[in-house]
Amino acid sequence: MRDTQLLKLESVTRSVLLPDDSELHILNGINLSVSEGDHIAIVGRSGTGKSTLLNILGLLDRPTTGHLAWRGIDATKLSARRAAHIRGRDLGFVFQQFNLLPGRTALENVMAPLMYATGADFWRRKTLATEALEKVGLGARLDSMPQTLSGGEQQRVAIARALVRRPRVVLADEPTGALDVATGRAVMELLDAATVESGAALITITHDINVAAMAREQFQLDEGTLKPLTLEVTS
Amino acid sequence: MKSMARLFTGFIASLLEAWQELRIHKLRVLLSLVGVTIAVASLTTAVAGASVAQQLMTEQLERSGRPALINTYAFNQRSDDLPAADAAVTEAFKKTTERFDVEYASMVSRASGYRMLHQGTSIDPELLVADPAYASIHRLFAQYGRWLEAEDAQNLAPAVVIDRTVAQKLGLDENSLPASVDIDVAGQVVSATVIGATSTRDGGLDGQVWMLPQTYEHWFAAKAPLTDATYEMWVPVENAEELAVHFSAQMRAELPGYQVEAMRSDYLTWGGDENLRMLALVAGGIAGIILLLGSLSLLNVAMVTMKQRIREVGIRRSFGATTGRVFFSVLMESVVATAVAGGIGVLISVAVVTNPKILNMFLGSGIDQMPPFPVGAALAGILISIGVGALTGVLPALVAARVKIVDAIRV
Repeated sequence: MRDTQLLKLESVTRSVLLPDDSELHILNGINLSVSEGDHIAIVGRSGTGKSTLLNILGLLDRPTTGHLAWRGIDATKLSARRAAHIRGRDLGFVFQQFNLLPGRTALENVMAPLMYATGADFWRRKTLATEALEKVGLGARLDSMPQTLSGGEQQRVAIARALVRRPRVVLADEPTGALDVATGRAVMELLDAATVESGAALITITHDINVAAMAREQFQLDEGTLKPLTLEVTS
Repeated sequence: MKSMARLFTGFIASLLEAWQELRIHKLRVLLSLVGVTIAVASLTTAVAGASVAQQLMTEQLERSGRPALINTYAFNQRSDDLPAADAAVTEAFKKTTERFDVEYASMVSRASGYRMLHQGTSIDPELLVADPAYASIHRLFAQYGRWLEAEDAQNLAPAVVIDRTVAQKLGLDENSLPASVDIDVAGQVVSATVIGATSTRDGGLDGQVWMLPQTYEHWFAAKAPLTDATYEMWVPVENAEELAVHFSAQMRAELPGYQVEAMRSDYLTWGGDENLRMLALVAGGIAGIILLLGSLSLLNVAMVTMKQRIREVGIRRSFGATTGRVFFSVLMESVVATAVAGGIGVLISVAVVTNPKILNMFLGSGIDQMPPFPVGAALAGILISIGVGALTGVLPALVAARVKIVDAIRV
């Protein structure tokens, strides 16, 4: 199972055209392979293209050049509709600012991705969402509004939401960025444990070396180039 | 089969999302929909009100005779420019109506020189001498008691039907019928029986009284003979003019020495329904303008709201929402909201249009047969509100569908 390749990036570049018609190269020749069960951390300073890389990995954006494959299929040629279906079914996102839907309870937030599912997942959305929240320790806060939850609790709701459709890959963009050190660590442990249990790959984008150290593989993104990184784990 | 299931769950989910959105933003939705609710209520009320006004106007117009009404006049040298009311004409009219198989026919004559007395009250109502079919021809109903029947001519006392004015003046109500009144004709007082009362007030200051020709002939003609009469027929509108021509020809054949004229004289011949059309057009026009203004305000609020919801759209896209699904969901929000607003508008309209007090306040007159609330008007109200929702939902839905996910999440 560990060898089942999910995402493969070969010589991926991403550049954007600036208002003065000059080109800004954000990513330069990125090569990365993600298989089921992987736990990868990508570290880098602000503005090095971490979020752009995550958007490409999450099929939210497309490379300017290079090859991106999703389970062996050329993802650069996927229609927007097909990409949306893959995103809904196989990819889960955890954002730095939690991005919970305002005005909805924790339960409704976790049910939200299941509104785009079909069959049993759609009709059993309340049960599945309740189970997901119970797994992250929020079984008693189902009807709580996001603003009544602490930062750590909000991020746990976001994790439950990312995992509720049992994705193959979870993409976490600075998941501890808005949390204190202790809460951040607890959230990362939860995310790690949840993905290990489900067998999903976890790709964490972070600028925090300690968070990156919790992954089994680390990469550094520097000036648009991805390089393997070896960390000495500190606690 | 799989794509059908996906379509079905997508539709249900869009409805659920729309409802959830409306529930969360109740106040904003409520305020933005006030205009639509008022507009739909106005539009539905205009359509339904026009139907009620049509009924009222029809009732009033038909009091002068339902279409097609053919009036027949017979003149001879003795009738002094007035249509004769003698037995020969009455007999000829009866024979001719039977020959032409006319179901509703009546002699109509106005008697004069008499008074009606009851418990010390004396009034001078208009006395109309007419056959039983007069009620059908003039859309008259007995509100209390009953209308005249042919057998009433055999009664031991003259049978009369009075209108509401007479009933009020003489202090007669539902419980006092049949009531005994005195009719004084040239000093001869006859005790008559009031067998019914209509709800109309079409006569003069002292109202109207109806009596059968045979009754008048038996009790009063000797003292005050009828001087003139019109003979009325209510016939199908189709070929009514042709019938009038043949009818007058036949009457002339029956009445040598008489000059006979038969012609249509109902309100359709002088365009009495034009006012009604104008009323419906004006009311519809005003409601249309209100609807336009309501829709524009709804669109304005929807566009501003959508700009504030860009991040939410981005999050939903990250869950796997397709462009089409986002477009449809936002469109459904608008449609569901306006459908609810339209439903409330229609309910307000029903409450207004079916309330006799409110109706009489606007129409200033009682209505005999309250028409049911027109289903067409209610359906039109709902459909228009759904249409407005769809039209005003398209622009925000397009904005939402064109959101770039990467930019939206960063907002």
